[in-house]
Amino acid sequence: MPISNMTRRHFLGTAAAGAAVLAARPSLAASKTLNILSHRVHQTVLMPEGGEDLLAGWKKAQDADAVFTTFDSNPLQDRLFREAGLPQTDFGVGYIIDNRPTSDIARLFTPLDEFQARDPIEDFGDLAPGLVQGMTVDGKLIGIPVRHATGGLFYNEALLEEAGIGAPPKTLEELVEQAKKLTFTSRSGTPVVGMIMASDLAVFPVSVARAYGGDYITKDFKLLPNPEAMEKALTTLNDLFNAGALPRSYATTRNDDQVTWMQQGRAAFTMITYARYNQFNNPDQSQFPGRIKAVPFPGSEALPAGQMAGVTEAWGMTIPANFPDKELAWSYIKEVASKRVTLGMARNGNGPVRISTYADASFAEANPLAQVEAETLATARGAFPPFPEAARAQQIFLEEVQLAVIGRKPVKEAVEAMVTRITPLLPA
Amino acid sequence: MRARRMAIGAGKTAAVIAILVWSLFPIAFIVMSSFKPGQDIFSVPPKFVFEPTLRHYVNLWASWQTFFQGLLNSTVITAGATALAVVSSTFAGYVYSRNSSRFLDASVLFLIVVRLIPPIVVTLPLFPIVNALRINDTHFVLAVLYATFFVSLGTVLMRTFIDQIPRELDEAAKIDGAGRYAILRRVIVPLAAPGILAVAVFVVVFAWNEYLFAFIFTSTNAKTAPLVISEMIGSIDGVDWGVLFAASTVQLLPVLLFVVLMNRYLVAGLTAGATKG
Repeated sequence: MPISNMTRRHFLGTAAAGAAVLAARPSLAASKTLNILSHRVHQTVLMPEGGEDLLAGWKKAQDADAVFTTFDSNPLQDRLFREAGLPQTDFGVGYIIDNRPTSDIARLFTPLDEFQARDPIEDFGDLAPGLVQGMTVDGKLIGIPVRHATGGLFYNEALLEEAGIGAPPKTLEELVEQAKKLTFTSRSGTPVVGMIMASDLAVFPVSVARAYGGDYITKDFKLLPNPEAMEKALTTLNDLFNAGALPRSYATTRNDDQVTWMQQGRAAFTMITYARYNQFNNPDQSQFPGRIKAVPFPGSEALPAGQMAGVTEAWGMTIPANFPDKELAWSYIKEVASKRVTLGMARNGNGPVRISTYADASFAEANPLAQVEAETLATARGAFPPFPEAARAQQIFLEEVQLAVIGRKPVKEAVEAMVTRITPLLPA
Repeated sequence: MRARRMAIGAGKTAAVIAILVWSLFPIAFIVMSSFKPGQDIFSVPPKFVFEPTLRHYVNLWASWQTFFQGLLNSTVITAGATALAVVSSTFAGYVYSRNSSRFLDASVLFLIVVRLIPPIVVTLPLFPIVNALRINDTHFVLAVLYATFFVSLGTVLMRTFIDQIPRELDEAAKIDGAGRYAILRRVIVPLAAPGILAVAVFVVVFAWNEYLFAFIFTSTNAKTAPLVISEMIGSIDGVDWGVLFAASTVQLLPVLLFVVLMNRYLVAGLTAGATKG
């Protein structure tokens, strides 16, 4: 029928039929549905496109389907807390980042100790104890670790060779020296900076401070437990900046800049999570596929061996307290935390939370950074513990770091300002 | 004198070129990058001559089916919101244009004030209500919200358009026996069509690109394309820029095409009531 001949009745009929089709829901094969609120990566490591569905066994056993609702990290946390704050939610499992659950937030989730005692997760002691501790708030286990992102020092092997450097640095002092040497114009004509770091994340200044034996905020909320170490860290970064070994655009450098600069050969070193290895070396994106490698972030010469603590961030699985079918949610968590699924997810690119996964020969063979990552994870901890004003405190911390690094404020003054401004924000 | 005129002309041309470059560069960058090999997207110096590839579009199709589902959802929601907003604004604009009372005059001010409230202020308190009504994650809730958000501006626009239609036409129709609805349908709507299209353009552009309401009120079934794009940007295992730019191009094209086609109505909408007589 030509459109010009369409009557109002036809139009309304078609519109109503369309609306009915849209309103209809396909009938589900499974009798139950577990709605999961997560990042997309959590879904793809469990059910990769064209790969094995690691949840197939659980779905069959429970006669249930897993429906993922995915968001980016911060929106995801926001949505999870809002859902958990309702009288009732449809989401049975929510993925949480370990630096978010304050005491108030933890109360929104079901304590899992009782479930673990009654219906335990396979070989619970195999889960990295530091990550389990990160999911324990006020003595209650509120989440089961499922993924970690641990940071290391990435370097462009080709650029190091071009500058006549035979091996990546073993100490922070060597790193500074090499970064300065690698601030040059490469043979391809690309101007190279020695080091690139995002200025909007606490991970980087915290790592350098730890390299000198310091820290930002400890687990027991001690701010700058070693202020001299923080001063040394900022002095080092300021020195790198003055030498041109950090980009002039340092104050606006973001996480994704680190990746693109390394891929393009515009930076020789960066500090980022090991999970980025594949992206750095992806031939479709990188000018240096296979040449960007990683080592643990080095400590200072003065730091005793084995004392360098890397920075890690972990994700855990929680059950919102307002979700009715907690048994179904726990069965999912148990399955995902099992050795089989943890290994399967690791093969699909997930940072494994079980120590035994790193010992698995097939995993180590397929993952060139498995050993380095396991080494870093052994001593790694979060950049800072969760507390209600953590975001504001981090903002202030980064502001002072930036001012010191680009030379707008003397290092000592910046460190003093951190103490003055952040102390009132810490829990009493 | 001639030299001065030439200088002014050259200055104007330069200004137009600068504005065009300023506005078109980001769009051109996105579209070009979606066809560039991945290694060349951020190469220094930038490559303007390259071998185009469709790989990013293929990868987008293969890895982000949710994006295409999101586009479908965006289409349904945008169509619904536009229809609702246009119908409501036309009715309301007609009432405001042809009637006058103290209450109506005061409510016009209210319509404008409503537009000044930041959307987030309204959005968060609505979340528990929408949940309690069990209409969360439906096309319906977003279509209604978008329409509601635009009805005030649409009404003001439609009133301005309908004001320009001589009242004598209403009276002539009334003498011929037409009721208010018939006058609106047979006299006002055909003559106010440019205004209706202008309102439609505003709503389409807003609903197609909106993020905040979609983020708060959808999960899976009604998730829109901008939400999926934001996931691509925030991917914790790395951003695939080629795929991201391909998705942005696909998301951009329909609305760009629509705005270009409706451009003259949009201008008419913006300038409605600017001159009298």
